[in-house]
Formats: sequence, C-alpha cells, structure tokens
Amino acid sequence: MVSLERASSAPRLRFLAALVPLLCGLICVFIANIPVSLLAGLVPSPLLALVPVYFWCLVRPDLMTPAAALVIGFAEDLMSGGPPGVWTLAFVLTYALVARQRDSFAGLSGLAAVLGFAGACAFACAVAWITVASLAFLTPGLHLPPLAPIVGELVMTVLFYVPTALVVGWVHHKMVGASRGDI
Amino acid sequence: MANAWKIARKSNAQLPLVIVIALAIVLVLLGKAQSGLFDKARVHITDMMAPLLQTARAPVAGFDRWMGSVTEIFSVYEQNLKLKEENARLRQWRNVAVVLQGRVTRYQTLLHAVPDPKMNAVLARVIGRANRPFLQTMILDAGRQHHALPGQAVMDARGMIGRIYLTGARTSWVILLTDINSRIPVTISASAGNNGNVQAMMTGDNSAYPVLNMVSHTVVLHDGDQVTSSGDGGLLPSGLPIGTVVSDGAGGWHVALLADAGASQDVEILNFSTPPEIPPAAAQLPMEAAGLKPQPLQPPVSTVPAPVIAAPAPPRPVAPKPVAAAPDAAVPAEEDLDR
Repeated sequence: MVSLERASSAPRLRFLAALVPLLCGLICVFIANIPVSLLAGLVPSPLLALVPVYFWCLVRPDLMTPAAALVIGFAEDLMSGGPPGVWTLAFVLTYALVARQRDSFAGLSGLAAVLGFAGACAFACAVAWITVASLAFLTPGLHLPPLAPIVGELVMTVLFYVPTALVVGWVHHKMVGASRGDI
Repeated sequence: MANAWKIARKSNAQLPLVIVIALAIVLVLLGKAQSGLFDKARVHITDMMAPLLQTARAPVAGFDRWMGSVTEIFSVYEQNLKLKEENARLRQWRNVAVVLQGRVTRYQTLLHAVPDPKMNAVLARVIGRANRPFLQTMILDAGRQHHALPGQAVMDARGMIGRIYLTGARTSWVILLTDINSRIPVTISASAGNNGNVQAMMTGDNSAYPVLNMVSHTVVLHDGDQVTSSGDGGLLPSGLPIGTVVSDGAGGWHVALLADAGASQDVEILNFSTPPEIPPAAAQLPMEAAGLKPQPLQPPVSTVPAPVIAAPAPPRPVAPKPVAAAPDAAVPAEEDLDR
C-alpha cells in the first residue's frame, strides 16, 4: 500500500498527508488526557504526544515543524490541567534538542532507540519540572513540586514508547511516507 | 527501527525555532498572569467531553474497583474481625452522640444560640480522574447549571475530598486535598497535653498524606488526633471531617485522610454560605443585660478614625478637630485603667 503522498500528486491529498503528524500528536494528547484512571490513580498517565513529536522530528522534520510541536504542547497544557505553558515549553525545547542531535538519535536502533527516546523524555520532564519550580519560586507560599510524580510520568512514557512508536510508524508508512526528496 | 527511517536532512519550518521558543516562554508567563483564559478553555473542553466520559466511565469504574480490591483479598479475614470490633465500638459511641446532641439542642434553645448555617448539597458523580505530575484532580458531572461554584467543598461518605476550582456549565474540576496547590485551614481536636484545639494549615504535597504546616512548636500533637476544617476565612464550613494526625517520624506531622478520592464514585458538593452577621439589639448588649446603664455616646466629631492620628499617614487637608479631640478622649480612659 502506498502512502497518501505517493498515491496521488493531488495537492489536497498531499496537504492531508502533511497534517497527519500534527493530527497524530493531537490524538495522542486526547487519549493520554482522557481523565479516566485505569489504575485508581496509582500511576500518572504517560506523555504519549511526545512520541509522534520525537518520531517525525527525526524522520520528517518538514512535516513536524517547531510550530506543530508548539501546537501539540499547547494542547497538552490545555488538556492536562496543569500550569499553562509548561508542556508547550517542554515540547518545543525537546524538539530543539532532538533536531540538533538528529543524526545521533536517528542512528540508534533496538534498545538504544528506546534509551534515546528516554533521554529526550527525561529532558522534557526536566524542563517541565524546572518551569513549575520557577513559577513556584516566583509565587510566595508555593512549594517546590515533588520529584516522584514527574519521575513516574517519565517511566510510564518510556514504557508506552514501544507500542506507541509501532502505531506511529505504521501510520507513517501507510499515510505519510518518506520525505519528498527520497521518493 | 532507525535503519528503516529515511531521514530528511532539511526542515522547511515556517517559523524559526527561536521564535517558537520565545512564543512558548510568553505562553508560560501569560498563563501565570492570566490563568483564567486557560481555565475557560479547559472547562469548555471538559463540557464537550462530558458525554464521552460518562460513557467510558462504567467499564473503567468496574476495572478500578477490581484493581483496588486485589490487594485486599489476602487480608479479608483480619479486616472482617477488625470491622466487627470497630462496629460494636461505634454503636456505643452513637448512643453517646445521640444523648449529647439532644443536650446541645436544649442548651442552644435556652441560650438562644445562633443556629449553625444551613447547607445545601448537590449530589454529583465522578466522571473522570486525572493524576498528572503537577495536578491531582477529579471531574464531576455537576456544574453551574446545578449551582456548583468554585471554592465549594466536595465530600464523600467518609470525609472531605477537596474543593471545586473550576466550573463549566455541566462539569466541575475538583482540586484534591493531596494536590500540591491545596491549602486548607484546619482544626486539630484537643487531645492529651493540649489545652484546646490547635489551628494549622494543611498543605498537599502530591502524596497520600498532606502536611500540617504552621503548627506552633509548643504544641504537642499525637497520632490519631482528629483533623477537621476550621472554617477560617469563611470559604468552608467548620467541622468537616478530614482525617487523623500521623507522625512522619522526623518531627513533621501529616494527615491520613478519611476519604478515598481514588475510589469515590458519588460525592456531595456543599453549598455553604455564611449568613450575614446581624448586630445584637441594644437590650441584648452585655451592659444592658447586667443592669448597668450605658454611657451616653459622644457625638461623632469627625469621620476620621482615631488611629489615623497616630499612624504615619500622609497629612490630610482637614484634620484639626480630630487631632484635638482624640487625646482628650484618651485621657479618662488611661486614668480609669490606672485606678
């Protein structure tokens, strides 16, 4: 099965294919933030939206642009209910890190690929924690946020990386395809 | 996996990365300054999602209950014995409470005591829970249409769970007592060694046991002391059961909550409003009641209150009369004190 881009040169289909990474990111935000707890609130929900940002930042940065990362992070902020702008900044800075080290991250495979994503996710969680801690520092009477929940979020996100990356990879092969220059 | 990827070397991003990072920082600052804008968007999204959440709730709630009971299977027998013993003890306490309630009612009638403010309650169903690193919340299916308002207390059958902090038309967000942003003025009931109730501030720290802050170092607390809402500030009614005091072993005190926010399915939203205080009639003032004739009130010489004279306030254009009158009025009072 060929991708939408390759199937037709119609501009409309190409436009749709270009929207797939952004839509995937927004769908992941929605799924991860449906406020239904399967484990009675014992563990935090994973940052599923970081997977498509990471994936398409490596393979199709022309479709997963910094603006798309900004929109996905903003959606995560709106849906997650935390301090506004925290995940937006975390996603954009993580995008910048991955884009800067694209060759290093894309060369990883197997367990190293999971560890590479874990590094990017740890960076995103650290940015989020530092941002919230800075906001708490600016607000009198607020405490520093505890570390345990953000570590739990990191662990859950890394655990969910492989199944989510498989789905995202399948969507990529079926609907997006390789970059135009390689076709 | 990476070998199968065709890596694009160039990004034709419409917005440069630096501008996007700057926009993200502006969003953080805007969210700090104008969080109401984001809150409105959140409640609109939640209102739209409410039917979906209610549909998804039933199977997930069953799974939740099953998961919650897995750990208790192995201690059912011991728990049953403990519950029977506790039940027998509570029946005795219930009889005592009924007798004391009747006595209090009689005393209130004799003393013409001001009755406790009446509270209405809205029964709501939990349609969602979110456990995020920076927010622990639950979503209820009652909103402004059901007279739920921000600040109102949310209770389950055992005790207080949290407070409403956002309301949409049909849904409400509850900030749990365990959330890091939660602060509740509480009263710790008198126990051995304390002369009276202890006031404190209960602060969530995203753990199951919120912290008791602002407890005086001279106060001695004990494990098991009862913690209830103090009602300070008038936002919450006083006396709502919250939990019991537990020590962390390092000199700090925490609260073991009575309510289980992870398992509650139906909760009550308390509509509490303090009635305006009505000043007592002249005949009920203490001096009149004691048979003493009250001193005739001096006519007010100025609308400027006396403390203004001593306060280092900026000079006012018209002030000669109060400056002259206030020391004269203060002298007899000092003399009376000396006598």
